[in-house]
Amino acid sequence: MTQALFGLLLRAAVVLAGTALATFALLWNAPGDPALAITIARYHSVVSPEIIDKIRVEAGLNAGFWTAFQSWIGPILQGDFGNSSVSGRPVLPELAAAAFYTVPLALAGLAIGLVLSIPLAIFAAKRPGSWIDRGAVAIASLGAAIPAYWLGLLLILLFAVNLAWLPAMGARTPAHAILPALTLGLGVAASLTRIIRSGILEARGQPFLPAFRRRGVSDKAIGRDHIAPHAAIPVVTVFGLELAFLLEGAVMVEVIFARPGLGSFLVSAIEARDFPKVQAVVLLAALLFVIVNLLIDLFYRMIDPRIGERDA
Amino acid sequence: MTLSVTGLSASRSGRTILHPTSLNIETGERIGLVGASGSGKSTLGNALVDDLRARGQSVAHVPQSPDEALDPLRSLNFHWAETERALGLAADPVRRQGIFKALRIDGGDLRKRPWGWSRGMQQRFVIAMALMGAPDLLVLDEPTSALDPVVAARTMDLLDEHLSGGRTAMLLITHDLGLAARRVDRLIVMDDGKIAEDAPTQTLLNAPQTPAARSLSAHRNWLSLPC
Repeated sequence: MTQALFGLLLRAAVVLAGTALATFALLWNAPGDPALAITIARYHSVVSPEIIDKIRVEAGLNAGFWTAFQSWIGPILQGDFGNSSVSGRPVLPELAAAAFYTVPLALAGLAIGLVLSIPLAIFAAKRPGSWIDRGAVAIASLGAAIPAYWLGLLLILLFAVNLAWLPAMGARTPAHAILPALTLGLGVAASLTRIIRSGILEARGQPFLPAFRRRGVSDKAIGRDHIAPHAAIPVVTVFGLELAFLLEGAVMVEVIFARPGLGSFLVSAIEARDFPKVQAVVLLAALLFVIVNLLIDLFYRMIDPRIGERDA
Repeated sequence: MTLSVTGLSASRSGRTILHPTSLNIETGERIGLVGASGSGKSTLGNALVDDLRARGQSVAHVPQSPDEALDPLRSLNFHWAETERALGLAADPVRRQGIFKALRIDGGDLRKRPWGWSRGMQQRFVIAMALMGAPDLLVLDEPTSALDPVVAARTMDLLDEHLSGGRTAMLLITHDLGLAARRVDRLIVMDDGKIAEDAPTQTLLNAPQTPAARSLSAHRNWLSLPC
């Protein structure tokens, strides 16, 4: 087990290092002059070439690729994400402030998704092929097909414009978070419903279940102790992908609802070629993915140790 | 107590796979249910178990392979405790140890999941679970076909020994007349979803009346494995 954990951590470290290098290389080789973009973002006007050259030196853009990469990654390994190329202020506090808006939104979306999808999937899987089941699958497919930006606009139109129940723009009160969270949550619920439903149906086909019924084990106990763990494996697998959807969706939803957060943080940083900020966001996302996948791997090994043994 | 069922039948996608069948089983009786593949042996066994269970009789069933009886995600301890609960029995380590000793699996680690044990031990664990409630009838559906002949013979010997003199009747479903002949008092031959012949073992082997029984009897020599 210790050896397996070591292997998983090593894999996580390799993924993080690869992500850091790849994003740095992509930004470094992006077309256009980054020094010019930073200058425009800082002074809001085109200034003399001398100032642009000064900024080039200041942002370390005149150095070679590897020198620049090392001078960026070195401090990060000690927890220092550097200063913004535009404002000169440290990146980390600004990033934390943005995450303070995005993380609760994503968690609320996830919670809504789980609360809606689990009962719906269990209900639908009770009688596969019935009109309830077909209805649930149809709603879930529709939900998965509707992009978040369109659903967000529909919700704004209905609840903010026509009914005037909820505020749509900004993030001043907790009520401002309801529509964005709902937009995210409905998308999550749609994909989770289909996966949980098919997970349950597949688990129900396990060849050993009739024997448990003949032994007198109640349907409730069979559902809880045998079907649920088997259904959990595919569900947990997609959970990692769901996280990607949540992050991407949160960024998009923040733009639609004019909310502050990682979305606007990232978009403004990309426009200004503010390398330290962009890379900090990407690294944070990669770290999150690595942690979640690590937890998923550990969950697998706990629920079915054969998975770990096959790897070894 | 005589267990009796009447009018058992089954059909699958519109085709009758078990014609209405009635059966009496005496206390402690050993019956072999034989017939070619697809003759309806397992269907009759399952219908018998389900019918008796529904009427509150104490019956236990051992499927062909441990894969059809054990959840690979759950420990053997969990299986045992779950079956105890299902039968309404209090947890009793002494009873468990007694059955395990009889089947020679008392050395196994119950914290493991089924695949942590050999298949022969898994199958004996399944038989042990079936014996837990001291049922009136034990239905064994090709219980040893997943095992190698030596382990199979040993398992059947241990089971025989455990059941001998008790009240538990045994219905042994098999395509192997050789296996059945040595272990049962009465043979039932199935053919095309019907009972073709039902007679004491020696009578049926020496003077089979129907084509189905004659064909099984004629082939029993090369069919018989060392079990």
